[in-house]
Amino acid sequence: MPGYRVEVDATRCIGSGQCVARAPEVFDQREEDGIVVLLLADPGPARREAVAKAALLCPAQAISVVEAP
Amino acid sequence: MGKDHGDDIDALPLFPFARTDPFHPPAQYAEARRQCPVSPVRLWNRQRAWLLTRLAQFRSVLQDRRFSGEFARPDFPAVTEARVAIDKAERAFVGMDNPRHQHFRRMFTREFSHKRMMALRPRVEAIAADLLDRMERKGPPADLVADLAVTLPALVMCELFGSPYEDHAYIMKCAAGRHGLRQTPEEAARTASDLVAYCRALIDAKERQPADDMLSRVIAEFVLPGTLGRDEFADICAMILRAGHDTTTNMIGVGTLVLFQHPEQLARLKADPSLVEQAVEELLRYVTPVQFAPRRVALEDVELCGMRIRKGDGIFAVAPSANRDEDAFPDPDRLDIGRDASQHVSFGYGIHQCLGQGLARIELHVVFTALFARFPGLRLACRLEDVPFKYDSQIFGTYRLPVEW
Repeated sequence: MPGYRVEVDATRCIGSGQCVARAPEVFDQREEDGIVVLLLADPGPARREAVAKAALLCPAQAISVVEAP
Repeated sequence: MGKDHGDDIDALPLFPFARTDPFHPPAQYAEARRQCPVSPVRLWNRQRAWLLTRLAQFRSVLQDRRFSGEFARPDFPAVTEARVAIDKAERAFVGMDNPRHQHFRRMFTREFSHKRMMALRPRVEAIAADLLDRMERKGPPADLVADLAVTLPALVMCELFGSPYEDHAYIMKCAAGRHGLRQTPEEAARTASDLVAYCRALIDAKERQPADDMLSRVIAEFVLPGTLGRDEFADICAMILRAGHDTTTNMIGVGTLVLFQHPEQLARLKADPSLVEQAVEELLRYVTPVQFAPRRVALEDVELCGMRIRKGDGIFAVAPSANRDEDAFPDPDRLDIGRDASQHVSFGYGIHQCLGQGLARIELHVVFTALFARFPGLRLACRLEDVPFKYDSQIFGTYRLPVEW
């Protein structure tokens, strides 16, 4: 099964916190301004569904799931 | 049939459409989703606007910088003349495009972060328990709107703002005055400026006497160093106060009534309270209190779904319709607390998506858990025909909801 990587674009992030609610081991929010912090760029197959949901629900499209080659 | 590009303004249907069913948005939306998902309409001032009735265009347009969310623009669309007065008086970031929007919003995002909201949950639970205690002591029947749905968000906002609870009746009067479909522009503008003046006085009081609340933190970090003006902050506070009341109130009221109308779904929730989080998402989708938002105006000519949207045309991304999109939510008119409804757009989408959505969710999780745990036999205490619905408001709900147990 091919792997995947997660990328976040903090410049787009609006701090909705939906990613943290979906996948708290993968995403966090900066204490000073609530903007996204990526905790795990390679979260593994078990978290794939939650990460995909977080990317889909992100209102600012700041999360990308990139297929590993 | 050729596509109607809305060239003859007077031939277009007048928007908004009247809502006739408390549990379903106007039938014109379902028709539009089938026939013409991006539909031209005429507004009260003969401006042309387009309804986005499906989720795909709702999401794409609210990400598209060719559409502006600047309330101050003269061509920004509104459902009534009073709403124009409110829009022109709005100076907070809800009515700004980026980069100004982001500059201000980022001063507040951490106050509503996921962790902050989770930390607030025990306080919300304590407030809910106290209100349910009072209902129980008073005995049935109760008005769920006055006794819980209005009071809980008001107390939570007082907690967040560090404002005295005695002020909440005044705040709610200002907040409710905003959404009527039949008010005059003068009334609308006055309630808007009254609330800003109230917030300005509250900011002065917090500056003299800081405490552990959002206002005091923002004053210390952004106001005193000169990053955020006191008047700018007052506008933002008024926006947050307004947004924090009416929407949650109506979700509690109508959400409870919807569960009464679906006893099998309510029984499922009572049997397995761990369903509450997805049940709340489904109720948000099904109820969708905010009727005519978000709005945008086209900054240039744009082709969308084969339709020619022209510069200066209004856009209504119709959340109640997108939330019934058959492609995203199979059998959309059926309430099913077992489905994954999390893609709903009741909080909007794009850069303006609701700042307080995490707080709203916690309030709703707490209410729909505690209410049926306390009163397992809770039921409607009048005929459905006698429930007074807010057909005259931009935020749908009920004025009262008599319940017994």
